Amino acid sequence: MSVSLASLSALGVGYLLLLFLCALAVERGWLPTRLVRHPAVYTLALGVYASAWAVYGSIEQASRSGFGYLAYYLGAAGAFLLAPVLLVPIQRMTRTYQLASLADLFAFRFRSRWVGTLITLVSLLAVLPLLALQVQTMGNAIHLLSGAGSPEWLALGFCSLIALFAILFGARHSHLNARHDSLLAAIAFESVVKLGAMLALGAFALYGIFDGPADLQAWLDGPGHPAQAETAHLDPAQWRTLLLLFFAAAFLMPHMFHITFAETLSRRTLLQAGWALPLFLLLMALPVPLILWGAQRLGVDTADPAAAYLAFTLSSSWWVGALAFIAGLAAASGTMIIISLALSGMILNHLVLVAHPPIAQPDLYRWLRWLRRGLIAAVILGGWVFYRTVGVHHDLSTLGLASFIGMAQCLPGMLALLYWPGANRKGMVSGLTAGVLVWLAGLWVPLLSPFPPLVILPPGLEVLANEPDWYVVTLVSLAANILTFILVSLATRTSAGERAAAEACSVDAVIRPMRLPLVAANGEEIKHHLARALGEEVANREVDRALTALKLSPLDGRPYALRRLRDRIQANLSGLMGPSVAQDIVDRFLPYRQDGPDATEDIHFVESRLEAYRSRLTGLARELDGLRRYHRRTLTRLPVGLCAFGEDGELLMWNDALAELSGIEGESVIGAHRDTLPPPWNALLGQILAEPASHLYKQPVTLAKGLRYLSLHKAELHEDRHEPGGNVILVEDHSEMKWLEDELVHAARLASIGQLAAGVAHEIGNPITGISSLAQNLRYDTDDPALLETADQIQQLTDRVSRIVGSLVGFAHGGRHVAGTPFAPVSMAAVTDEALHLIRLARSGEDVHYENRCPPALEVLGDGQRLQQVMINLVGNARDASDPGGRVVIDAEPRAGWLLVSVTDEGHGIDERVRDHLFEPFTTTKPAGEGTGLGLPLVYSIVAEHGGQIEIESPPAEQATGTRIQLWLPLNQEDGESPDESDPDR
Amino acid sequence: MYVYRIMLFLVFGGYLLSPLLMSGWGSAGVAWYRPFVIWGVLIALTLWLEQKRKLDERR
Repeated sequence: MSVSLASLSALGVGYLLLLFLCALAVERGWLPTRLVRHPAVYTLALGVYASAWAVYGSIEQASRSGFGYLAYYLGAAGAFLLAPVLLVPIQRMTRTYQLASLADLFAFRFRSRWVGTLITLVSLLAVLPLLALQVQTMGNAIHLLSGAGSPEWLALGFCSLIALFAILFGARHSHLNARHDSLLAAIAFESVVKLGAMLALGAFALYGIFDGPADLQAWLDGPGHPAQAETAHLDPAQWRTLLLLFFAAAFLMPHMFHITFAETLSRRTLLQAGWALPLFLLLMALPVPLILWGAQRLGVDTADPAAAYLAFTLSSSWWVGALAFIAGLAAASGTMIIISLALSGMILNHLVLVAHPPIAQPDLYRWLRWLRRGLIAAVILGGWVFYRTVGVHHDLSTLGLASFIGMAQCLPGMLALLYWPGANRKGMVSGLTAGVLVWLAGLWVPLLSPFPPLVILPPGLEVLANEPDWYVVTLVSLAANILTFILVSLATRTSAGERAAAEACSVDAVIRPMRLPLVAANGEEIKHHLARALGEEVANREVDRALTALKLSPLDGRPYALRRLRDRIQANLSGLMGPSVAQDIVDRFLPYRQDGPDATEDIHFVESRLEAYRSRLTGLARELDGLRRYHRRTLTRLPVGLCAFGEDGELLMWNDALAELSGIEGESVIGAHRDTLPPPWNALLGQILAEPASHLYKQPVTLAKGLRYLSLHKAELHEDRHEPGGNVILVEDHSEMKWLEDELVHAARLASIGQLAAGVAHEIGNPITGISSLAQNLRYDTDDPALLETADQIQQLTDRVSRIVGSLVGFAHGGRHVAGTPFAPVSMAAVTDEALHLIRLARSGEDVHYENRCPPALEVLGDGQRLQQVMINLVGNARDASDPGGRVVIDAEPRAGWLLVSVTDEGHGIDERVRDHLFEPFTTTKPAGEGTGLGLPLVYSIVAEHGGQIEIESPPAEQATGTRIQLWLPLNQEDGESPDESDPDR
Repeated sequence: MYVYRIMLFLVFGGYLLSPLLMSGWGSAGVAWYRPFVIWGVLIALTLWLEQKRKLDERR
């Protein structure tokens, strides 16, 4: 099988152009977002793990060690099966602190820019052999297919296209951890292509060379058995070591770290990849032995060194070779693209920016973007140079293992980062240096030179002398790394900053930040401070970005909000230029105030984090968290207002009842200083905090609901100096009780006046009767017309006085209607006249005009005394609501067996807020002391006793102002008909 | 969260027992696809545990 170089070039370039087209289709929106953001795309993008090693190296491994080749797939599958306990915590950290690479993560955890630099250098050294492996497979595939003598130049052409792709679609954003949909889609496309090609090659071997699975099994049990039996099996210890290496590679290799954590994907998607990626790897691994056995069946020599490229020997048909070539090109290009992106970011943040901080750099974003593009090209070119100078002399296994073992040196640091808060920088750097030195001497330097590997076996491990170099170097380097790491960490001190970062990174801990005020007073001032470092435009953009993410206002001056804003800006800058530079800038330009009170823990923030991490808690921690939530809920839902302040006066809690009472949501004020709370709360709460007494009773406060009387009680929180201090304040609304007290006093006064009136009426009654009798006698004793007229007048006036006194006595008695007693016909006109008599006795409202339009003939069935009380209350209210000179009209008309009595005034009407509560006791719109709030409830109950109803119109339909109260009372009908119950007007 | 412990147990158990996988290569009478079937079962188990985890977290 031979393909011309031109055809091969066309095939390769055509494939890469297809890749460009795929990315372009996503970028231009030609593909639906639902498809582009589907979790399957992410899982397929994670398939970048299956590099050229998976296509060619695995076949080489299978020919050497049988199923030992599976270690590459099973190691990575194991890492993703452990996604919930391993990858999700890393993802949480990288997202929270905007860490885009392994170097960022280590620099953040161990609080040193030099740690980031060290990790970057180790990654660079480790990745070069892997890059060389990718280029080598391209070169060898070109050579095998076309017979070209110098395939490296065509490989360089492909590398250039790959670099161009990475620059165009991977370096669009200045922020390293922005999601690149087009890039992800292209890598997913590559995974589909390599998987499809591998499955096609496997199917060809199974059905084209063998006659299906049964024939293959028969061949394996028969003619093929000797060849399989000769295949060496990996020693179990070596197998486990390989598994460990590939386990580490699955999330430590820069390209895997980049796709898994830097592309901002959801936790759910990552968890889904926990089973989906192993499935992808299973399908990738399945064709490998089929290709090998197919080649053996065809009689191809499967011995080294060409074993990696057995797929090309399965058939003389050009398309089989093309499939093998495309599978390798897809695998190699995907890996090279993502490695170049990841490494360029690391080099930028931890080498370039550390050496040359971008303080006051004009057009920072553009400068960073172009720097990164240059680095991408340099990384890919570096891979090609390494291949040309070193890679050509080594097989795939040697190059690949050298790379994976190098990156595995970061595994102890990563595990300590997650699970050992006691680990410190000195320990990590010492351990990593020890491990890397063993690796360099044992595997990496020997790649460059003809000298044998230099591995010094510690005493007691001489038994390893005859084992493969990779195995010995892995064991010795990792042992040296781990032991040094632990011993140095235990023997040296950990700085406070490291301890805080360790808590932030630790799986079982929640970050416990301290509560310190910033020098800047709000978001606008932060922009101003930051502009000195980043320039005005970048500072504005970064602060606005952080404000938007946190949903904060630029003028929000709450210390809590400003601390969150500072953290978010630091995280965003970390995504832009790495955690070390970001921390430097933030520490320098957004400092904390040094003159403030001692720092205390930010309890509100800790609680919010606990809420977010709840699903990760287990065992006792989960039970305790359940208890915490219960107590929290108890305080939040307490039907009494409650707030808590820290020692520095910062508001820590504002419960639901207080939010309802004040009309201020807790989220908008928690974290604010008490002096900055909205009035009147700042003064009121400041007053109780300043008072030596623990209680303030019935403080008049004007709120949105009107005048309220609040009682406040405070208690100090701290029991000893180790506990967080501050105060808790209970706020009780005693307004109704206050009004009730006032009304009771008023009612008691009225009651005594009533008793007095009854007594006075009784005392007046006797002399009046005497006067009336004397006037009567006078009429009998004289015939003088003048005297007779005088006697008549005296009698009329005494009758009037008697009527008034009778009304007063009747009203003072005013008892309830006795149930079962039949109602008598009552004239509403007479009842109204009687009520008006009494109303007119009152001095107020003398200038209001009353008009009784009730027809005297209309009667209702009822209790005259009780109905009089109704009319007194209604007319009295109308009088109180009327302005001087106003008119109150009382009217009545029969309607279908009912008498509709209306009392209409032209006053100020009824307030909207009390309209729904008018018939509730103690509801009044009158000033305190003037109204009992009992009148209308009494009216309601009397009308209800009569089987009637009340309606209120305010203002009435034909008036601009005023109120009309309408009473439906049963009409007294001569023919004995009962009122119509189905009257639609009612 | 208890589901994660089962997952840990599965992965570390699998790690210790995994060398047995290799014995199938070149052994007469052993189905060539045996490692892949075991692997497939493990994936199915993980998928099932993932569903359980979702229910656990929803509670």
